[in-house]
This record gives sequence, C-alpha cells and structure tokens, in this order.
Amino acid sequence: MADAGGWRPPRPCEAYRAEWTLCRSARHLLHHYYVHGERPACEQWRRDLASCREWEERRSAEAQRSLCESERARVQATRKHALVWTLRQSPPADWHLPLPQEEKDQ
Amino acid sequence: MAGAAGGPQQQQQQQPQPQQQQQRVACQVFPERRAQGGSGQGLLSSVFSNDQGCQRLLLKTLQTNPYVKLLLDAMKHSGCAVNKERHFSCEDCNGNVSGGFDASTSQIVLCQNNIRNQAHMNRVVTHELVHAFDHCRAHVNWFTDVRHLACSETCVRDRAILSILAVRNISKEVAQKAVDEVFESCFNDQEPFGRIPHNKTYARYAHRDFQNRDRYYSNI
Repeated sequence: MADAGGWRPPRPCEAYRAEWTLCRSARHLLHHYYVHGERPACEQWRRDLASCREWEERRSAEAQRSLCESERARVQATRKHALVWTLRQSPPADWHLPLPQEEKDQ
Repeated sequence: MAGAAGGPQQQQQQQPQPQQQQQRVACQVFPERRAQGGSGQGLLSSVFSNDQGCQRLLLKTLQTNPYVKLLLDAMKHSGCAVNKERHFSCEDCNGNVSGGFDASTSQIVLCQNNIRNQAHMNRVVTHELVHAFDHCRAHVNWFTDVRHLACSETCVRDRAILSILAVRNISKEVAQKAVDEVFESCFNDQEPFGRIPHNKTYARYAHRDFQNRDRYYSNI
C-alpha cells in the first residue's frame, strides 16, 4: 500500500458517486441482468463513496484501508482469467512504417 | 458487426505470400485493393465522391465518439498511435461488408460503398479499432489460431461464431468449439474499457477511468 504521506483516494469522490448512481439506474439493471442473469451489486460503491468522504473530511486511516481493499478486489476480479494470447513486450515493429506502395513511389 | 462475406477475394497482380495473404481479419473482402494500388473509386463521379463522404464521416467519428476516443488513447499509450492518413483507408468493397483490419499493413479498411451514415461509421470504426488494439497489445495469430480470432470477435457468443464462419472455411462445430474454449477468458477481458460499454455513458466513464489510471494504480 502507498505510504500515508501523499496518499489520496484512487478516484475522486465524485467518481464513486457517479458509479453508484449508474449502478442503481434502471438501464444498468437491465443491461446487467441481460448479460449476467442477476441483479448488479451496488452496495460497495456506496461504501466506497462514504470512505472517500470520510477521508476528505477526517483523513481516516480506516477509510483509506477500506478503499484500498475495495479497489484491489476490483482489480483482482478483472485479472482472474488467463488471457488466450501472449501480451507483447513492445508494439508491432511495422505499425508506423510507410505503406508498401508509398515506399515504391518514393 | 461485420456483414457476412463470401470469403477473401484473391489479389490480382501477384500471388501473395502465404503470410501476407493471411494477415487480414474477419470482415474483409478487398478484391481490387492491391491491383489499383489503394482506394478504388467505383463508378460514381468524384464530385459526390464516396471517398470524401467516407473521410468526412470518419473524421467526425474520430473527433467525437467516446468509444473511439478511448480506444485511440489506449492505443497511443500502448505505442500504436493512430494516424488518420496512415492507418485508415476508404475503399470500395464487394458484398455487404462494412470494413476490416489488415494486420499486414496495419490499416483499417472502411468500405465506403457500404457505410451509409454516421452511426454506422461509429460502429465500424469502434469494431475495427478493437482488432487493431488487440493486434497492438498481443501476439494475435489471426489466421493460424481460430481461438485467437474467436477471442477478438467475442462479445456475444453466437455473433462470434457467425463472424468466424464468414471468413474461415471451417465447420460450425469447430467454430463453436473455438468460441466456447475462449469465451470465459475473452468475455471477461474488457480492455481497454474495463467494463462492457453498453452505451456512450459507459464509454465516457471508461475513458475517464483510463485518463485517471496513474492516480488509480499509485493509490491502491
């Protein structure tokens, strides 16, 4: 975890509010149910919003801990499936090269 | 997504190298691409040039569409900055295909004779940029591994199967098996959006998160 000095919430508090609102919207409920077959879980966004505000107002260490834990869990959830392909170490070498006909023209 | 195609047409002037021939992805049918040395103009006069209309629609998409803006940012961040003149080509295509990604030339081809309006252009550019993004960040064996092709096409299972069948001479069972094998992983790989962007609101939120990523990862 980052040191207490210089730490701030991973997202601005408005972002937590926006995500919580979006999560609870009728449209999101429909999308989520259609894709996953169950209702979305929005409570964690509300908790994160509360932690964020608590940090802003009182610099609460508990709020910091709770936010870090919550966001790490989100990152973990996105990484639990191994990728089908191998990631590159660097972009394709020919991405920026001129087109073959341009080379002929020059 | 791409319309059904009859399969890639043979190029006219020379027999392409097997590797070169095999670099085009998914939605492509480009019969005269190489022979005419680039974009063909078709029968319409240049006053109402398909190319000009295509370029105009493309420019608007690149400047305003939130899905595309995020993908462009993500690609720049991955070392594949996109240049409109270099990486896009408006051309006439056979069939009712809307576009394709040509990995051998790092170009997105837009079928100007089939893209009718701004919304359509938005969808085609988004779709092809996803292919380009996958090509940029991973070693994708577009033609030698059906699972990789399936992965790049995966959003909805049945659509992925149809997309594969449109461009590969394989049986439906093989296509289904490829999609099933990769579905769990590929459906959950939501890069660069970090979520399924059901509409522009989600895409804007995703873009906001992408722009915030330095702060995010240094504080968790």
